[in-house]
Amino acid sequence: MSDYFERLLADPTSFHNAPYDLAFTLTIEQIEQLHLEGARKRFGELRPRLSVLDKLAREQDIETIDAIDDIAPLLFPHTVYKSYPISYLERARFDKLTKWLAGLTTTDISHVDASGIESIDDWLDLLDAETDLTVAHTSGTTGKLSFVPRSKEQWRQTIVHSATIIRHWWGRDSGPNILEDKIPIIIPGYRYGAAAMQRGNGIQVDLYAGGEENALFMYPEARFSADVASLAGRLRAAESRGEAGIGDIPQILLDRRESLLDLERRRPEDVRHFFAEAQRRFGGRDVYVTAMWAILFDWAEEGLKRGIKNIFGPGSVLLTGGGKKGKDMPDDWREQVLEFLGFSNFYEMYATSEMMGLCMMCEHGNYHIPPVIIPFLLDPATGTPLPRKDGATGRFAGLDLMPNSYWAGLITGDEITLSGWEKPCACERTGPHVVPPVRRYSEKEGGDDRIVCAGAPEAHDRALEFLAELSM
Amino acid sequence: MSHEFHVPLIIRGEIIANATIVHGGRRGGASFRAPDLAEHIGKLTLRTPSHMADLYTISFEDILDYLVALGQRLDFESNQHVQEAFRLSCITSGLSESILRFHYSHLGGMFDRAEMRAMMERSCGVDYLEGWVDQGPSRFTGLSARTRAFGARTIHVIAGNAPIVSILTVIRNALTRSDAVIKLPSNDPLTAVALVRTMVEMAPDHPITKHISVAYWKGGDQAIEEAIYDPRGVEKIVAWGGFDSVKHITQYLQPGIDLITQDPKMSGTIIGKEAFADDATLQSVAKRLALDVGAQNQEGCVSARVIYVESGTDEDGVERANRLGELTFAALQHLPLHLSTPHKAFDQALKSEIDAVRLQDEEYRVFGGRGNEGALIVSQEDYPVDFSRDLACRVGNIVPIDSFETAVRSVNAYTQTIGIFPESLKERLRDRLAFQGAQRLVSLGGAATMQHNMEKQDAIEPVRRMVKWVTEESADGSMLEGLAG
Repeated sequence: MSDYFERLLADPTSFHNAPYDLAFTLTIEQIEQLHLEGARKRFGELRPRLSVLDKLAREQDIETIDAIDDIAPLLFPHTVYKSYPISYLERARFDKLTKWLAGLTTTDISHVDASGIESIDDWLDLLDAETDLTVAHTSGTTGKLSFVPRSKEQWRQTIVHSATIIRHWWGRDSGPNILEDKIPIIIPGYRYGAAAMQRGNGIQVDLYAGGEENALFMYPEARFSADVASLAGRLRAAESRGEAGIGDIPQILLDRRESLLDLERRRPEDVRHFFAEAQRRFGGRDVYVTAMWAILFDWAEEGLKRGIKNIFGPGSVLLTGGGKKGKDMPDDWREQVLEFLGFSNFYEMYATSEMMGLCMMCEHGNYHIPPVIIPFLLDPATGTPLPRKDGATGRFAGLDLMPNSYWAGLITGDEITLSGWEKPCACERTGPHVVPPVRRYSEKEGGDDRIVCAGAPEAHDRALEFLAELSM
Repeated sequence: MSHEFHVPLIIRGEIIANATIVHGGRRGGASFRAPDLAEHIGKLTLRTPSHMADLYTISFEDILDYLVALGQRLDFESNQHVQEAFRLSCITSGLSESILRFHYSHLGGMFDRAEMRAMMERSCGVDYLEGWVDQGPSRFTGLSARTRAFGARTIHVIAGNAPIVSILTVIRNALTRSDAVIKLPSNDPLTAVALVRTMVEMAPDHPITKHISVAYWKGGDQAIEEAIYDPRGVEKIVAWGGFDSVKHITQYLQPGIDLITQDPKMSGTIIGKEAFADDATLQSVAKRLALDVGAQNQEGCVSARVIYVESGTDEDGVERANRLGELTFAALQHLPLHLSTPHKAFDQALKSEIDAVRLQDEEYRVFGGRGNEGALIVSQEDYPVDFSRDLACRVGNIVPIDSFETAVRSVNAYTQTIGIFPESLKERLRDRLAFQGAQRLVSLGGAATMQHNMEKQDAIEPVRRMVKWVTEESADGSMLEGLAG
């Protein structure tokens, strides 16, 4: 135990493959010590090598971390990982985009020559080929793509980390050891691409499934294109620039928008084909499934309608999250999905793409924040950190100590309630936990009938709506 | 909250105060009680058009008399309903108390007899409102025609970002001899109520009072809206607001209902190179620009957001734009409090965008934006910020350009007002800006004056569209008979 704690203090990255149950046995004092020393360590190591963090520290006039709240002004607004101008994409200035990214990572990418590059996909491939990074983009369908400069090593660590969670979350060795005993993996999405969802695919095929023949994807050959994912943000930006903007959108992108409509038409058939394949190839066996609830529900609803249920073996596992995502689903959506899948062991998480750690839901419905993530609740109006008191509600921000090559200190757009500082969760895991519901501030602000005369109308665009569904 | 707000239902002079349903109360929002509209829904719209007749027993002058008298009763010091609306607006509105106090202290000013007459003269022609106007000779010998403008039974789904929307609705309804049901917005549920309550107190049986109703229901309440949006009781809908609220209303459209949309709009600025002639000129331009960005805390569709500046985009040009940004931010901080203040509820999503671009000093220069004081973001290339459509709370984006061509081509159908400097540039560009989509061109600094826009609004002339243009024709009987062969 003390070994475990000492290792975390010395190197928070060691958390990724340490027995996960131990994380929630630390005392609050240990957690606070880890937070403070870890924050000092990361800030000390990263500030001199990350120009953007350095700039923020100078802006905020912070030189040392004396108390944990000193970190709060150094957390990036979540917009930082998408703070490049969209004009870089429109003018194919991928050299400038590279330079922008270099300010956010300690990984050396200065040798990359992106001057001839014309698409985001090509730029990401170039970085894959010539650097230690495998940059992930968010799905960002309502706006711009964020680019998170995660290293190849860190991606591998996140996949090992997920397996460690699956093995130990409900108690030591309570789950399958999918790193040792290979398991079929089933993912109702794209096999390739650089969205956070796809970045782990290759490593999961390798580490969990032990090869492509033991893996099933909905689109096994296809790539989820970053250029397509960027369409909504680019069209929005272009439209607000009138005729001047629309002229800047390359025809090839507009064509790809059209092909999304084709894909949408084929989608129901693709879904049917996918689960028929899943059943044919892996029916009755213990499998690993990962997908957002909303997609699984589509799948389950279709299957249950046709009387299909209990597809997989009882020892299967599901890694999931995302809630309803604005979809119209009945209150018993979890039960319906599990009835269809045929097993009950699911791991539901609350996570942020820039962080490596995941917050897992316990049997009491709370999401437990691992000790390597330093959580903050910020006053939504002023951004000042609220005291660590059980039951307080505010804007969630956090610094994940696992990433050691970029600053995983972020202010999210989520409103959450935190407890566990004064009294542990009823599940007896120690440390802070998120008490649902989690809400987006943007959702809370809209939606009623406050009517104003100022604003830019949104045109209805079916292709982009489908893109939003697709990238969940 | 020490005080609970009640939003009565007022139907044709009858005040229903039995407020049983609590609405609102969201984060930062006030809650208020209102009667259950479902209990009274049957009498809200006017299903008997013959009841419009009383509006034609009074003259245009009588209506002006009525409105002028109403304006006098809206005195902030003595009218409790106005005070109550002000108090609630201080909670629900994006405008600060000092700005609201100024608005509510001057409600009566809008009821100026000469102004109201001029507005109707320009939009409909008073003689058309007063009687049948001969349409001149026709191609057919002996055929003549007369046209008159008649009021219509109309639902007004109004915006709540400034009290003037309620005032305009009441004035337009009265002067066009229409019958209005005003659907109150949750961000200003009491201003229209204050006006109509005052009308009831002043002249409970007057036809104008009998043809205006106000009601709050939650926008999107299907049971209510299916009953209301029915062509048997409604001829027109005037809908303010965003894509979602208008889109929502369109599902009730059917033959017999005319929709007049007052779409959400954005406004901008074009500043020619003359601004940089000398420091005094630049100082003056900065002050006028601060006014267009900051007036009414940038809550209106007339407020400037993206500012194209013909400074040039080379190093010197960008420096010129930066200097304008610096001066404009300083001027913004000195605007009088009745016009503009730091925003009381600064948009946090916008704040995080500003915080992020501040760290990208190669691309953007940010003046201000640390708290709620407002900001000028100067792009260092000829591109607006990617969040330009979310600019609010006194945040403008200055975009340096080499030629105003870029600015002209950036104007689109969502552009309402454009403030322009110098005057000669406005004259040079006005035709082109108009066909790009712009709707109102003003001298830099004049965006929020709103003169000569009360009836033109967004270039769609809603007053003209609120009335029904009815024609009566006469022909010689034997000529018509001859057509039958």
